[in-house]
Amino acid sequence: MNEWFADVSNKFQIAFLEGDRWKLYLSGLGVTLQVAVFAAVLGVAIGTIVALMKLSVRKNGKRSVFSVIAQIYIDVIRGTPSVLQLLIMWFIVMKGSKNGALIAILTFGINSGAYVSEIMRAGIQAVDHGQMEAGRSLGLSKGQTMRYIILPQAIKNVLPPIGNEFIVLLKETAIVGYVSLSDLTRTASQVSSRTFEAFMPLIGAAVIYFIIIKILSKLIEKLERRLRKGDHR
Amino acid sequence: MKKAAIALLFTLTLAFAGCGDKEESTNTTTDQTEQTGTETGDDVQGDLEGEGPLVDGVLNVGTNAEFPPFEFVGDDGEPDGFDMALIKAIGEKLGVDVVVENMEFDSLVASIGSKIDVAIAGMTITDERKNMVDFSDEYYEAVQYVIVPADSEIASAKDLEGKNIGVQLGTTGDFIVEDIKDATAAQYNKAVDAVNDLRNGRVDAVIIDKNPAQVFGEQFKDEVKLYDGESAEFGFEKEYYAIALPKGDEELAKSVNDALAELKADGTFDELVTQYIGN
Repeated sequence: MNEWFADVSNKFQIAFLEGDRWKLYLSGLGVTLQVAVFAAVLGVAIGTIVALMKLSVRKNGKRSVFSVIAQIYIDVIRGTPSVLQLLIMWFIVMKGSKNGALIAILTFGINSGAYVSEIMRAGIQAVDHGQMEAGRSLGLSKGQTMRYIILPQAIKNVLPPIGNEFIVLLKETAIVGYVSLSDLTRTASQVSSRTFEAFMPLIGAAVIYFIIIKILSKLIEKLERRLRKGDHR
Repeated sequence: MKKAAIALLFTLTLAFAGCGDKEESTNTTTDQTEQTGTETGDDVQGDLEGEGPLVDGVLNVGTNAEFPPFEFVGDDGEPDGFDMALIKAIGEKLGVDVVVENMEFDSLVASIGSKIDVAIAGMTITDERKNMVDFSDEYYEAVQYVIVPADSEIASAKDLEGKNIGVQLGTTGDFIVEDIKDATAAQYNKAVDAVNDLRNGRVDAVIIDKNPAQVFGEQFKDEVKLYDGESAEFGFEKEYYAIALPKGDEELAKSVNDALAELKADGTFDELVTQYIGN
């Protein structure tokens, strides 16, 4: 038991403390968070727009051009692996750019947008149809009703699945090593390739992800509770 | 009204994305246009006249810093190692600033000419790579070692036939296994993963470069034993590391080779070997 403990603490020493390696994990975590946060913001922006596009109808009640475009976008993005999207963005679409962070943020933002748009659509459709009728009968335009009455309620509806999507996104960024970024996962890989020891860096990175996501889900929970304050149910 | 607002937002998002890209790529636009014509072909005619590193004063170097002692991430988070020191010395001779991009090994060759100017990553000269890029003069002989469990009966190249052999993806060992009869290559991203699987019994042998092999041999000396791949029993062909250069850029190739020759002549090269690799 003592021996085992000494071995583990020695490995811990090598993987985290020697040469201040913990700083590498920290900067790796910084890259992970940077990509995930910006991509999430971009994803929510794209997702909301695309959801509204998909719900838009022509005067005769048929699907609008916007709706068809939105559907194609969702199908293409959901139908291809994100690692391929990242590589296509890096090698083909933005061939001339050396900014890996920008490419990663755009790729994951566009990727996440497709999933968020379906979540948003579900949230909007879950708001009772009478809300739109009430808004319209009070003299608000369609756009105003959407903006001031439907969307605020929809956002409350979609908070849990959006939080879920953000957690998935944060972990999915573990592939950004392909675009020359050193995120948390790649840092673990780099350290283990240097120390020739895989156990500690991998477990360490996993624990860091876990803690970050635990904090994140607590925050989302708090926000949810705050938004539910006005509810009487 | 709603539609107009949506369209506006969407355009703004796209415009924002476009701007970010443009800012980043201004100094590579020429490369980009020159390459669009050959995008689908294997043959990247990277004639970088007027845009190459020798003109703009910045040499963008690609590497995969997971291959000590040639390249690894130093304690300050920056790529360090023999290759990094060598390319910086070459950059000094050429009078250009060296900017290192740390990326996946299998992205390196494809990135030359667009994302990076050259790649130095303990990269072996192979015919397949030569279709895509040119190579500088060789700077280091890549000796391959065979690692087997301590109780293994494998002792020669013949014993490797039909075996499951762990290698690092896209490295010399990977190419060697292709030539061994009936052997299957288990390709790993990192040498350490291959060796761990050898210890776990998932592969029968591991073929990797000498330097990391020796570290593993030392670290797990009760569990594994090493064979020199160049010994009579194994007789692997000699392979060499070189710097990968854009295809057809003779000017850059000549300057890099001249700088390399100078460094070898004035003893800097040997100093770096002693400093990073030893013996």
